[in-house]
Amino acid sequence: MLPEVNVMAMSAVARDTVFALRRQIAKIEGTLPERLQAPVAGVSADAVRSDMTLVRRGLAVASADALLCTGIERLDTALGGGLPKAALGEIHGLETRDAGAVAGFALSLISLILKEKQGLPVLWIGTAEIFHEAGFPYARGLHALFGIAPEQLLFSEAPKLLDALWIAEEAARMTAFAAVILEIRGSPQRLDLTATRRLHARAQNAGRPVLLLRQAGEAEPTAAPVRLIVSAAPSASRETVAGPLAGSIGRPAFTVDIGKSRTALPGQFTLEWNPNEHAFAERSAEKERAEDPVAVVPASARGADPAPASGAVLAFPAVAASAAGDQPPRQQHPAHRGPRRAG
Amino acid sequence: MISHRDNNTQRIAALDEQAEALKLKRGMGIADARAMHPTIDVVEADAEADRRLLEGLADWCDRYTPLVAIDGEDGLFLDVTGCTHLFGGERAMQEEILARFLQQGFDVRAGLASTPGAAWAAARFHGDRIVAGGEEEELLAPLPLSALRIAPQTRTGLESVGLRTAGAVMAAPRAPLARRFGATLLLRLDQALGRLDEAVSPRLPVAPLSVERHLAEPIMLTDDIERLVSRLAVALKSDLERRGEGARTLALLLFRVDGAVSRISVGTSRPMREPRLIQRLFHERLTAMEQNIDAGFGFDLVRLSVLSVAAFDMLQGDLAGEETDDDADIALFADRIRARLGEAAVLKPVVVESHLPERAVTAVPFAEAPQRRAPKPDRTAPPMTIYPPERPVRLFRSPEPIEVPATEIPEGPPMNFRWRRALYRVARAEGPERIAGEWWRQLPGEAEAPTRDYYRIEDSEGRRYWLYRQGLYSSAPQAAPPRWFMHGVFA
Repeated sequence: MLPEVNVMAMSAVARDTVFALRRQIAKIEGTLPERLQAPVAGVSADAVRSDMTLVRRGLAVASADALLCTGIERLDTALGGGLPKAALGEIHGLETRDAGAVAGFALSLISLILKEKQGLPVLWIGTAEIFHEAGFPYARGLHALFGIAPEQLLFSEAPKLLDALWIAEEAARMTAFAAVILEIRGSPQRLDLTATRRLHARAQNAGRPVLLLRQAGEAEPTAAPVRLIVSAAPSASRETVAGPLAGSIGRPAFTVDIGKSRTALPGQFTLEWNPNEHAFAERSAEKERAEDPVAVVPASARGADPAPASGAVLAFPAVAASAAGDQPPRQQHPAHRGPRRAG
Repeated sequence: MISHRDNNTQRIAALDEQAEALKLKRGMGIADARAMHPTIDVVEADAEADRRLLEGLADWCDRYTPLVAIDGEDGLFLDVTGCTHLFGGERAMQEEILARFLQQGFDVRAGLASTPGAAWAAARFHGDRIVAGGEEEELLAPLPLSALRIAPQTRTGLESVGLRTAGAVMAAPRAPLARRFGATLLLRLDQALGRLDEAVSPRLPVAPLSVERHLAEPIMLTDDIERLVSRLAVALKSDLERRGEGARTLALLLFRVDGAVSRISVGTSRPMREPRLIQRLFHERLTAMEQNIDAGFGFDLVRLSVLSVAAFDMLQGDLAGEETDDDADIALFADRIRARLGEAAVLKPVVVESHLPERAVTAVPFAEAPQRRAPKPDRTAPPMTIYPPERPVRLFRSPEPIEVPATEIPEGPPMNFRWRRALYRVARAEGPERIAGEWWRQLPGEAEAPTRDYYRIEDSEGRRYWLYRQGLYSSAPQAAPPRWFMHGVFA
């Protein structure tokens, strides 16, 4: 009995060393430690079990805690377990008009974080430009959808990007915030690799996420381990007792692309936010609206098809279109005078 | 020579010694003066600049006493009660003030007395005199009536009845004087003689606490100023502790060698007395103002004042001695941002009972926001609705007008719309949610705010917006068609 215990203890010590080294490597390389930790095939069950013990005792427990699970299995697997919590996360919107969806997705992530850290405040930093272009966050809407109480919210509007970055750096090192959002527009020079690396390092030390929302920005090299590209997805209809209500607008839905991740392959996901349970749900392909097109609303009372869309949209009518004489282009017709099917 | 316009004539307002030597006098017409001496140089008076200069001088006089008041267009009152011993007595103090002003190029006359009225007369009619308590009557008696600070009409009235000096007025019976010339004359007389108290109302509120340091060698570097701030804050801490208070507003006064004074103030959102934190706040403020502070030849007096205080609640740390007070951290963070970027840099939303979306939430600066506390059950709260109205995640500060070419039914949602020069096709719409103007807030003559019909819109690409139509369609001729606005974006 005694020698066996000794052997086990020794092997445990050795494994501890190995894990400490792996952790160092993971930290240097910036990858997620469990990538290096996957149990090697062919090891005996006993070894696996002791591996698990060690994992539970040291690294993996911490790392499982270090990841934010979105609750969508496919997305979590693609991201290697979830989004890192103590890190800078980049969320991109391709156009400024996607600002609602980008903000909504970021807030739903924060809502997931707040499930663990209840009552901690959230700081939202933005430049004056983005708040003017995309609208100021509306506390009533945030409360209803994401359960973030107005008392928990703090906004900071910086006149210049440099000030916004300074505020973000100061805020990122604090543990008193549940999360910090930094929202900017475009791809400014100032927000380069160095600036993002500073933010990332502070977020890592504080153990709090910093979400960098970039509206209408190009994908540029940054220090953020994960970049997600978010746009709005058509929402499903409202569910009623009698089934889906035709023509209604249901829960918020997002299309999420993994733009950059050290562990994941590019992929696209359609997520739906459940404001009652504060959880994501993935929309399966058959429920997509592409298969269930809903036409112009309100649906005609007689149940007939509504008027079809007028002809193809052209940016500028070609010169040859003068055949139509003095008629203005179709787009300018009031809809009730639009082309109508005979009969 | 300086001229000013008085009753449609340019008259001499002030003149220098050379002009006085030419026998020109104040109040003389410029035309007469030019006739006498065609070569004189005349400058138009600038009352605003004079006022600014006097305020600058008053700021500088802050180094002698916190109670400095501006008197008329050309005078300053300094209440030096209890300050003279710091400068080596009354005589030494007055001499120092005169010498310093002379070095700066001002021709100053000073008088020191135990009443403001007597000091006023001493300064104007003696130049450099210190009047001991009880000697006011002796000082005033031989002086002309204008030493009494009375209106010119009263003065001419008194002169017309043969009272030409202050002593003659004092000797005259009081009752007829009061009846004929009003109570002001006797009030001024009594104030000058110390029979009635006269308060000098200071320009700036007097700080409850302040510490200062006179420097033999002027300092210029921001780092030096910061180091000095933390030293002064240490001295301040014991005073605050004794009073059981913490500072809410702090001001740093930098007196430049040549007389300019910089005033830098910071606010805290909760009472503070820790020197390290005070120094950090001033660090942010000084960094932000670095370009605006002109050190010139350096500052020779630095003063740290507490402008407002509040009760300081002592908190006990936990057993391990580790304090993790998140609220305090956030308050300090907000104060630092505020010190650098201004009052409205950190905002907190406050929910207001209102139907209008833009009025339902106001963003107030962090320091003015109500402190976080456990929500208490509110009996007056309206009952919860099962389906609360849906509100967007972002709201435009001012609704943006959009072009709506047509709606399928007159009061229905649009079929497509143009916003920021891009065309959007409406795929689905929900609504309307009608929000009427708040008539109970209107002023009596004001037109009624038009009703808004809000629609939730999803465009063909899946983005969700919040639009509204302002006003209703009307069958009346010449009625303006309703206008459409974009007000918010949904998630």
